[in-house]
Formats: sequence, C-alpha cells, structure tokens
Amino acid sequence: MLYIKCPHCGWRSQNEFSYGGDATVKRPELGKDISDQDWNNFVYNRKSLRGRHWELWQHLSGCRQWIKVERDTATHEIFNTLKATEEIS
Amino acid sequence: MKSISALKNVHQKGHFGDFQDKNKKDLLKIYEIKNLLIVQIAQYKNSNISLNNIAIDNLNLKDETSNVTCNTDTRILWNGPKNWLLVSSKLDLLENIVNAFPSSDFAVTDLSHSRAIIEIEGKEALEVLKKGCPFNFNLLKKNNSINSIYNGIAFTVDLINTNPDKLRLFTLRSFGESLHHSITDASLEFGFESI
Repeated sequence: MLYIKCPHCGWRSQNEFSYGGDATVKRPELGKDISDQDWNNFVYNRKSLRGRHWELWQHLSGCRQWIKVERDTATHEIFNTLKATEEIS
Repeated sequence: MKSISALKNVHQKGHFGDFQDKNKKDLLKIYEIKNLLIVQIAQYKNSNISLNNIAIDNLNLKDETSNVTCNTDTRILWNGPKNWLLVSSKLDLLENIVNAFPSSDFAVTDLSHSRAIIEIEGKEALEVLKKGCPFNFNLLKKNNSINSIYNGIAFTVDLINTNPDKLRLFTLRSFGESLHHSITDASLEFGFESI
C-alpha cells in the first residue's frame, strides 16, 4: 500500500487522496496581456514527465486540504510533501 | 429528523455471529446513536481571530491534528486545519454556537440531520476497524479523532474511551446503511450484540 505523508494529518493511505494535476503550472498574472498560446499552455498543455515531479493532491477523505507531493512517476516513490501554500524550493 | 433513525432498516437488536459460548459481557456491542447536535465550524482562511477567547460549553477549539476537546456532553473534533465538528447531547447549544462565532470569521453549519452514527464498544472494536480502514490505529489515542475511509466509505472515527475501546463512527446519512453493513459484517467473526 502506498502511503503519503499529509502535512496536516501525518502518514495516510493513498486511498484517501485524490490526484489533482501538475503543481508547477503557474496561472498567468491578472491584468496582463496573455497570448492565446500562453492560455492554451496554462489550461491544456502538460508534459508527461518520467521521474521526480511535483504534483497536487487532495486529502479528500481526510482533512480535505490540497497539498503538494514530490513523486517519481516511474517508481511511485514519494520524496516530499508540502502544504499548498508552501513554495517548492 | 435527527431523532429519526438513519439505520431503521438495517439495525436489528440481538446477538449475531460467533457469540455462542462467549461471555456476554465481553461481546462487542454495536449501537446506533441519534438525537445529537452535530455542527461543523469552519474558520475562514483570512481570519486572524484568536480561538482562545471563544468557548462553547466551556470547551475551546484547538487547531491540533486529531485533537478532541470534550466534557461529558460535548465533544469538539478536529476535522482539518481551521475546521471542527462539534457533537453534543445538548440540543439547545446551537444558538450559543451561532452567537459565539462571528459570521465574518466563521461558517457554522448544522449537520445534525445529515449524519448516521454508529457506536462500537469492546476489546475487538479496533480489530473490526482495521479490517476495512487503512489507518494505523496504533497511533489513535483516547480522545483522538480521524477522518478516513472504511471499505471506500468516507467516515469519521472518534475514540471516546479505551479499555475497552469505545468508538463513535460518523458517516453521511446516505452512506449509513452501507457502513453499518460493513461494520456488522466485519464483526461477525468476533460475535456481537446489537443494542
């Protein structure tokens, strides 16, 4: 069973979590002119990386908070977790 | 509606499973609990109000993982950061709660009608939970609560007492019959008394 360390609740089964996408995607700044291509990249285009990758997960059946998880997409090994408000260093 | 049974169609009184030749006092006991006040209290993210100055039934809210503050009537369960579930047998407490938590900083929601509550008591109570829930119950101490899943059903566990273990399980009212079925099914091995 895969366990994820929720920064709020501690070690919990992956069954309690729900995957929420790429955590490195930044929303274009408000009030700036954004090209269609930039919007397209923000909304739709994602890389399918192999290896270490920061992802968003939600502790859906626990504290219901969004968190950031550094996971290896090939081995499923989890290296680090952060609160959603914490910056990736 | 909170006094109307959520488990009316499934909760039957009697002895079930492998109860024969066992001491009736040591059997697992399963109850349905109803007529409780259940209130969700959520503090807004941008609120900086101190929790120390707010008390409900002489209990403070504590933003600590798994913490339950309690007295004989009322229990305040930590549900998540800045989020609590207040459970009380004092049904008239709602007005005090609404007055104590300013609407500019807190969202107070009465969930009394929307939960099914099962209480399970006995020395095998944790073994029953381990059968369907992935949480490491060695970490759960008296007056701790967690949110987790049991056979895929989202539920809240509140460890009220130990020796013997007494746990209160909350789930959405519409999931109540499924959870009851799962819990009683897992209890058959030990034998149980449904009260």
